[in-house]
Amino acid sequence: MSSLAVNALTLTLGGRRVLGGIDAAFQPGRVTAVLGPNGAGKSTLLACLAGLRTPDSGEVVLDGQRRAAIPRRDLARRIGLLPQTADVHWDVDVETLVALGRYPHRGRWGESPADRAAIASAMAATDVSQFAARPVTSLSGGERARVLLARVLAGAPEWLLADEPLANLDPAHQLDALDLLRAVATAGAGVIVVLHDLNQALRVADAVLLLRAGQVVAAGPPDEVLTPQRIAETYGVAAHIGTTPGGQRYLIATHREPR
Amino acid sequence: MSRLSLGLLAAIVLAASASLLAGKVWVPFEAFVSDDPRWQIIAELRLPRTLLALLVGGGLGLSGAVMQGYLRNPLADPGLFGVSAGAALGAVLSLFFGFASGWLLPAFALAGAAAAMAILALLVGRSGSIIVFTLAGVIVSSVAGSMTALAISLAPTPFATTQIVTWLMGALTDRSWDDVWLALPLIAAGSALLALTGRTLDALTLGESAARSMGVDPLRLQLLVVAGVALCVGASVAAAGVIGFVGLIVPHLVRPFVGHRPSAVLLPSALAGALLLLVADVAVRALPSVSELRLGIAMSMIGGPFFLVLLLRMRRNLA
Amino acid sequence: MRWRKSLAAALALTAISGCTAAADDAVPPPARPLRVVSINPCVDAVMMQVADRAQIAGISHYSQDPRATSLPLALARQFPATSGTVEEVVMLAPDLVIAGGHVAPATIAALARLKIPLIQIGVPATIAESQAQIATIAKAVGHANRGAALNNRISKAVRSASRPAIYPIPALIWQGGGLVPGDGTLAGELLAVSGYRNMSADYGLKSWDVLPLEHLVARPPRLLLSISAPAQTDRMLSHPVLSSLGAHITVRPFPERLLHCGGPTIIAALGHLSAIRRTL
Repeated sequence: MSSLAVNALTLTLGGRRVLGGIDAAFQPGRVTAVLGPNGAGKSTLLACLAGLRTPDSGEVVLDGQRRAAIPRRDLARRIGLLPQTADVHWDVDVETLVALGRYPHRGRWGESPADRAAIASAMAATDVSQFAARPVTSLSGGERARVLLARVLAGAPEWLLADEPLANLDPAHQLDALDLLRAVATAGAGVIVVLHDLNQALRVADAVLLLRAGQVVAAGPPDEVLTPQRIAETYGVAAHIGTTPGGQRYLIATHREPR
Repeated sequence: MSRLSLGLLAAIVLAASASLLAGKVWVPFEAFVSDDPRWQIIAELRLPRTLLALLVGGGLGLSGAVMQGYLRNPLADPGLFGVSAGAALGAVLSLFFGFASGWLLPAFALAGAAAAMAILALLVGRSGSIIVFTLAGVIVSSVAGSMTALAISLAPTPFATTQIVTWLMGALTDRSWDDVWLALPLIAAGSALLALTGRTLDALTLGESAARSMGVDPLRLQLLVVAGVALCVGASVAAAGVIGFVGLIVPHLVRPFVGHRPSAVLLPSALAGALLLLVADVAVRALPSVSELRLGIAMSMIGGPFFLVLLLRMRRNLA
Repeated sequence: MRWRKSLAAALALTAISGCTAAADDAVPPPARPLRVVSINPCVDAVMMQVADRAQIAGISHYSQDPRATSLPLALARQFPATSGTVEEVVMLAPDLVIAGGHVAPATIAALARLKIPLIQIGVPATIAESQAQIATIAKAVGHANRGAALNNRISKAVRSASRPAIYPIPALIWQGGGLVPGDGTLAGELLAVSGYRNMSADYGLKSWDVLPLEHLVARPPRLLLSISAPAQTDRMLSHPVLSSLGAHITVRPFPERLLHCGGPTIIAALGHLSAIRRTL
């Protein structure tokens, strides 16, 4: 069973302490939502997990091994990152873009049957198969977001890290993407997703890691972490939490509240 | 090899045959087979010149494709690193001080290219950042360019000035097998390094963060790109002077035909660059002008209209 | 690292090929060449005086350009002209090539590779140097006596141009854009010999230098020889500040083709300068 954890992670960037001693453990097969106000260090935490940034002190531990000791390519195969910035620099077609996700698994000679299967299933899961031959730049924002999600899925990582993957999606596709993240977790991968919208967290998360100013405020199941007091402390707003007739939890910020 | 590459290869063979026949002096077919002294023109002048055009054009085309893929900018040009400016400075200094015989001029040019690369490496350090890198390239280019201009202004006589300026304009006139043996190993080595970058450049399509998360090593990539481009461009300048626009234009022309994937652009760019330079060289030789138009000048004349077409197309797409 | 090895191998290869090229030393020219190709217009002028017509296999294309030629055009058009590339030279099957001093290194190397004898004649800095060059060219084509005869004519022209009783007039040659030939150039010596004083030294100029207009206005020469007069196409010379000096400076034309070449053009240049001198 895979495990991913961080111990006492600190990182200062440009004179500002972005991460101030973070301890957290992530479970495979579960969706962990990383929440917090702007500047809390959420994206930076993901960057450290994926190996893009080296912490000043503390360590990232993957399957009992320190991340620094894991070869770069090995790490890339096991951890997949979907960054916030949806760059696509060249006007390639959708299938080519999704195929890039197989880069960590590249063999000597072109595409293997395993590659082709992974690409096809990733495109099917994100409902972009019909766009396979179209250039990415001709897609809408939401369609492009799904294609980029397909790219990271094509790599079949053990840990999927996503930084605000729902930003450009319409409500229908947001639900689809959340269901997809849940399905990926159910299939065995560990999903760690930074979300802005607390309702999305309530819908999909098995666990929540709440950050503020580079520190962990709380960690645990969503119902325990996302209480009105916690939300007031962390976000500075008063929140009303309710349940729909169908059993779906929701949260509405009603007014500002001093911390 | 794709259909495009095969097509380009066929065109190159045709152009090469034309190159052997064409010039101010049209050598008839009989001269090829008999013991005609004009065979010398083919064997010692036109054949090496043809090969050199292919080597230089191919090296520059490939360098341009890699540069554009690496900087994620379709307007990048191999000259951006400052290596061509450094090589040009080296050659100009050899002309200035009178050490320009035989293989001294290419040696000076290569030394200039190596120095430019060393300074670039010093300025950039271990950061893989593109911005630092581009800025360092601009610095090296400007300094080398200003020193070249200084050398020109300090030239002792107007004849020396003319000689330097003429060399700078780039040409393949009167090149020999010596130049081919100089350029071939360097451009081959540089091209081999550049060919290794293909898949990594593909991964960079997604931006640096995503690429690094997939295992791209930015430092190794930078090393390959700098060393490869320096070898190709340094050797080109040493052999032929400053020839621009090939590395800039050719990837643009090729890109739409290969689906815009950076790795797919590499080989066709090399072939198209070789073809472009060879055709241009044949044209400057065969044109009914009194003396040969300088090849670098011919390329600049192509550059302007090319960008005009690009601009018009862009405006149409944006409108 | 791999590329370092490739670089080292490449440099080694370059060194080896360089050595073999140097081993092909310059081929000695024949005693009386049958076909001589000149790719320099100044050399063309000398060749016309010292070589047999049949020996001249090719001249420079500049000699057929009315603006740049040192020869009568009608004469020049009777010979084949090249633009100086080795291809064209080889087609004329020469056994000797004479070139100027600033020929492209590639051309020199190509001629050496093809085992074609080459003589390079630089830009002469004095009349004596030009005469030595004439002697060299004449000897190379096997007609040393004609070279000596030409040199005698030049010496005679120099003697008649320099009559000691004349007061040397301060003068300046203006090549355009402020470029002035000074001491240590042929043009400078021509001025000195024909009764002028080259003012370039007064301004502190080197042998080829650019003179800012200020200095010209501060210490105007008595005579300004401009290569673009009387057309006044030179920007600096049409500057309004010079019109105020109109009375003090005399501007006369000086054909550019008489400026650099030396050789037979010296005679024409001295004649031109003497003629102007007589009118002042």
